[in-house]
Amino acid sequence: MSIVGKTSGSASFTRNRWLLTGVLGIYFIYTFMPLVYVITASTKTNPDLFTSFGLWFSSDFHLWQNLYDLFTIQKGIFLQWLWNTFYYALVSGVGSALFATFAGYAFAKYEFIGKRFLFALVLGAVMIPQTALVIPIFLMLSKVGLLNTPLAVILPSLVFPPGVFLMRAYINDAISNEIIDAGRVDGAGELHIFSSLAFRMLMPGITTVFILAFVASWNNYFLPLVVLNSTEHFPVTVGLAQWYASAVAGSGGSLLFTVVMAGALVSVLPVIIAFLIMQRFWQGGLGAGGVKA
Amino acid sequence: MAVIALKDINKSFGSVNVIGSVNLEIADGEFVIFVGPSGSGKSTLLRLIAGLEDATGGQIMIDGKDVTKLGPAERELSMVFQSYALYPTKTVRQNMSFGLEVAGLPKPEIRTRVDRVAEILKLEDYMERKPKALSGGQRQRVAIGRAIVREPVAFLFDEPLSNLDAALRVEMRIEIAKLHQRLKATMVYVTHDQVEAMTLADKIVVLDRGDIQQVGTPMELYEHPANLFVAQFIGSPKMNVMPARSGGKSILIGKGGHIDFAATVPVGVTGLGARPEEITLVGEAAGDVRGTIDVVERLGSDTFAYVAVEDLGILTVRIVGNVAAMAVGQPVGLKFDPARLHLFGTDGKTIQL
Repeated sequence: MSIVGKTSGSASFTRNRWLLTGVLGIYFIYTFMPLVYVITASTKTNPDLFTSFGLWFSSDFHLWQNLYDLFTIQKGIFLQWLWNTFYYALVSGVGSALFATFAGYAFAKYEFIGKRFLFALVLGAVMIPQTALVIPIFLMLSKVGLLNTPLAVILPSLVFPPGVFLMRAYINDAISNEIIDAGRVDGAGELHIFSSLAFRMLMPGITTVFILAFVASWNNYFLPLVVLNSTEHFPVTVGLAQWYASAVAGSGGSLLFTVVMAGALVSVLPVIIAFLIMQRFWQGGLGAGGVKA
Repeated sequence: MAVIALKDINKSFGSVNVIGSVNLEIADGEFVIFVGPSGSGKSTLLRLIAGLEDATGGQIMIDGKDVTKLGPAERELSMVFQSYALYPTKTVRQNMSFGLEVAGLPKPEIRTRVDRVAEILKLEDYMERKPKALSGGQRQRVAIGRAIVREPVAFLFDEPLSNLDAALRVEMRIEIAKLHQRLKATMVYVTHDQVEAMTLADKIVVLDRGDIQQVGTPMELYEHPANLFVAQFIGSPKMNVMPARSGGKSILIGKGGHIDFAATVPVGVTGLGARPEEITLVGEAAGDVRGTIDVVERLGSDTFAYVAVEDLGILTVRIVGNVAAMAVGQPVGLKFDPARLHLFGTDGKTIQL
């Protein structure tokens, strides 16, 4: 960057700083405007939604009523969707974080035949969007009779190639070969070294992969849309989209845009909470002190 | 305690041969140091003994038992690593207990053993701390403690002091020497620091490019190096080496310089080596060769004079004490002691007179 080496008083430093702040500001607005819209829209009545200014509250504060509707419409199916989403995301997050750790550890610390080829496969898988795989997955699931079950969403989500990639890089740095050698000299087997020495040192990396996989699964729309068809298995994404479609079609007033907006707001909150809780584990430096500083 | 024997041990990584064919016997209770420049194979040799690398060929025997195919733990050795390799999530006590727990020892015995070693190494006050809350020297002591509690048949050290600062290194060097006296255990130690090698070892093994150059006591290597490599590797400052040729009962060096010998100097001599303390500064006329003082370094206990000699380059001369009357640019004579010179042939091997 051109900023390096310039004094803070110089004209070019000031100009660059304003430029950077400006770019950041645009990005901030781009990211937050939809969220602000969701927040304000979920506090309005349906008529207000179309007549008042989109990015600010209207005079009539209707949030509690919208929330009440959200959790009571269709016998409170929304709560079921919320639970489904949480369940799918949790199992996929934990599962894919574990698998990514196992695979990353093997890639980082062992020599085996076909290692380069297999890692190239993982890299390739990172680049293929999951959407492209949904149809083959659908056909496979239908062959084994798992369509329209929770496993249809969970099984494909357990494979998270970016996590393997991340964990390999992380393990390379976080665990020195000498620590593994020390464990071997101490008489521990490979599995024992992994479980009782390495695993705890990898918590920050595992947490990162867990959050990424959890959020990816939480936001996943296309896969559950294709492989599920009973409403009671839907995650929030698919359920809300269905409601939105009915609202557009004009479902006789029972399903309103404001309820869909309130649903969107509620579905964002757990992810934010998960981030805040997990941040605590998200600290580097767990490996500090074991090997030379 | 153990006798370790290496028989025709060799090691290749793919097509790269890192250990030639090594034969070595390490006696019970002996402190053996592998020394050599980086890439000499000294660490690989240690890892082969530890069982952390598989030998490509040859046999490793411990107390007469072939352990070549056994894993690290079954060889009953302990190892101290360069980076300490402490388990960062475990406390000092847990670090030291881990090996014993794996071995399935009863808890009370683990506790007594760990406490006893902690006392020897003065670690009692740190037992519940994690490694990151310890200083470099304390970490190294924990690493050594972890090695001791297992009561191994021999200790392996892989450059254990190279991460410590100079003062701490001297301190830990003395602690390791004391530990060896106390435990009377077989120790194999790798270092690139020839001062460590000279001060600690009963026996030094000098390695270069995967081959043993010489095995001997520190003073044997210092006084009778087998070849040019050992001559230049052992000793600080380095031995002066200069081209030379035989002149019958004398040896000819530089421009008109000659040193007289009692015996006939063989024709094959091509190099002459003289340690800095084996050369004396004399008046210009009395020297075997003449030069001018280039640089003077005064260390208090010693003074090093770097003398530029035509055709021979810069020769280092060590003078005990602080010599006041020495000025840069001063012409001097250099006198060699024929009884203490080292003669080398074209192949770099030492030629005995």
